[in-house]
Amino acid sequence: MTTSEDELSAAVNELGLDRQNKAALGRLLPHGGLAHAEEGPDGRLHAQVRIPPDELVYNPSIIVMPRGGELEIEFFNDDANDHSAILPNNGDKKLQWLPVYSRAKVTVNLDAPGTYWFGSGALGNDEGRGLMGAIAVMGDVPEEAKLDRPDQPRP
Amino acid sequence: MTQEYVEAPAALDLSSQSAVVGQAPPVVEDVTYERILEARTEPHNWLTYYGAYNGQRYSPLDQINTENVQRLAPAWVFQFGPTGLHAGQSTYSFECAPIVVDGVMYVTGWDGLVWALDAKTGQELWRYQHAIPFDTPLCCGNVNRGVAVAKGKVFAVTLNAHVIALDAATGELIWDKPYGDVRAGESATVAPLVVKNLVIVGSSGGEFGNRGHLDAFDLDTGERAWRCYTVPKPGEPGSETWPDDSDAWARGGGNTWVTGSYDPELNLVYWGTGNPGPDFDGSVREGDNLYTDSCIAVNPDNGEIVWHYQFTPHDVWDYDSNMEMILFDLLDRKLLAHFDKNGYFFVLDRTNGELVSVTPFSDRITWGEIDANGNVTRKVEPENEGEPVHFWPGPAGAKEWTHAAYSPKTQLFYVPVQDTGATIILRQKEFKEGLPYWGASVGVDKIDMQGYVKAIDPTGKEVWSWFNEVPMCSSVLATGGDLVFVGEPTGEYNAFNAHTGELLWQFQCGSGHHSAPTTYSVDGKQYIAVPTGWGSWVEGFGPGLVGAPKGTALFVFALPEEGSSGHAGPPAQ
Repeated sequence: MTTSEDELSAAVNELGLDRQNKAALGRLLPHGGLAHAEEGPDGRLHAQVRIPPDELVYNPSIIVMPRGGELEIEFFNDDANDHSAILPNNGDKKLQWLPVYSRAKVTVNLDAPGTYWFGSGALGNDEGRGLMGAIAVMGDVPEEAKLDRPDQPRP
Repeated sequence: MTQEYVEAPAALDLSSQSAVVGQAPPVVEDVTYERILEARTEPHNWLTYYGAYNGQRYSPLDQINTENVQRLAPAWVFQFGPTGLHAGQSTYSFECAPIVVDGVMYVTGWDGLVWALDAKTGQELWRYQHAIPFDTPLCCGNVNRGVAVAKGKVFAVTLNAHVIALDAATGELIWDKPYGDVRAGESATVAPLVVKNLVIVGSSGGEFGNRGHLDAFDLDTGERAWRCYTVPKPGEPGSETWPDDSDAWARGGGNTWVTGSYDPELNLVYWGTGNPGPDFDGSVREGDNLYTDSCIAVNPDNGEIVWHYQFTPHDVWDYDSNMEMILFDLLDRKLLAHFDKNGYFFVLDRTNGELVSVTPFSDRITWGEIDANGNVTRKVEPENEGEPVHFWPGPAGAKEWTHAAYSPKTQLFYVPVQDTGATIILRQKEFKEGLPYWGASVGVDKIDMQGYVKAIDPTGKEVWSWFNEVPMCSSVLATGGDLVFVGEPTGEYNAFNAHTGELLWQFQCGSGHHSAPTTYSVDGKQYIAVPTGWGSWVEGFGPGLVGAPKGTALFVFALPEEGSSGHAGPPAQ
């Protein structure tokens, strides 16, 4: 049994579970890196996401928003396959098609703390589980939504 | 090498890639408080959660009746599956009570979904989906119990504890107010209640050690008018029922996750409250723990609690009392009926909360006993760490949140019953905000369980009973056609003779029932709307059925046209 993330990564690599169609059929729990969305002059948060060739991941696949609000994601598809992204958004999910070697900007509204899913689920011929990512919104709910009670211990 | 990129097509709203119309007739523009007050004078509609403020879940519609119900058949089905990751991944369930206004149906689903449908054809008119974090803490399922409508708006709550107002004609967001703290384990699943110019909503999350509350918001602006906590702070009335040397009150529960009823003459809203926290470990909260497991009568003008009645003082069995408070009059008395999780049927004087009668309605009740005067004798309770304790009813209750109905025509109550026990092993837990705070390990009996639909008169006397091999946990609907409708966990949807309990009709919907069906008519034709989809806290109310078929379908039944054997035919125009 591995004890650290580095050991885990090495073991997964040695087995070939971090590549398409090497050990298993797809990439085990595929994910790319982590990036912090940054606030632009327009007041919106911005992040870039790339789809590298033959890895079946969004990179980064974890986007951290320091607060709730509007997030503009700029996608780049560097893969020789078509991909897509269904994104969470208050009102309706957003669907962004990402043809081979394409770029696109999509804006979503996520106004509350928590972790949201995005993925390539709309593309019927995407391999295996497809691409998956998470958008983590930090921060707290507004004061008026909190309970009137003394501060409580958190984990 | 620098990649030359092509510009991808612009992002789309996902619903635009469907046959959704995008617009509904503006039928809610004229829905006023005055119309909701007289909701049962327009029986073709189902304007508010229970059909009327009285909580009876009764419709006078009688086109479908004991003489012809055998011909009842599906008119249309609306389906919508889950997409991607969502909170409580395996627990989503279709639990709502469809609201119908002049041919348009308003429905909520799991994961922030709200729809307007053509009530005659099932065509999707518009769709709204609030973005819900998949790590939203949920005790009991990714569910929502429905909307309220008034003044051109559709009101709903979201799992992450917002109340939203949508344009009833387009589904577009008008206002959005957070009213709970997801980091404190709060969520929201309740169907809102419109009273006067306010929309009243309750909180969920009693398994996470928070403090229950009701909130009222202005229909037009979304400004909060008041908040009513269901657990008092130190020094407030009722605080003497909590320890005075700890924060137990601040984690005391008493959440308000099922819609209340309303008496406009008395100007009182009657709302049930949930279990105290932690659910099973009473040692950290000595006392009666008001106003948990209670009916609170609240002045809707200011949110003040006028009177209360507690059904299970110092609960250590998870006996929430959120379930419906049915208002009815008998011999010129203004009464309130309530079937509690603890297995007893209570009738109160709704002017002041005085007990009129209390009778058991479930076969096996071992946790304790309540005498005719309402005195509680405790018999079995978890007291020692690690010691198994078995009792009936289990923590899902002799009746779950799913509703009983009352027919003023037969003057009988119709109640779904769960006869299921459970073993609790006390496991004390240090409180940490946002983490489950049960205080026990829970094992609900998977054998030796059963269920009923029972007809009970206002004195508590059983008039008829229909037995089932599994617990009954779907809301009952009573109609002027002398029919009682109720679904089974195994997918069957049933119609009974309201007078005799004879099973007259049955249809297999393919997934279990845990919702609140309603009835309405369009162009003179009566329909029965039945959300199906097995989920939520199944291991509690449907033990042994965790692996039963899932589903997300709304079935709508009607009588076929004369000379037709079914509803297949030319497409609707």
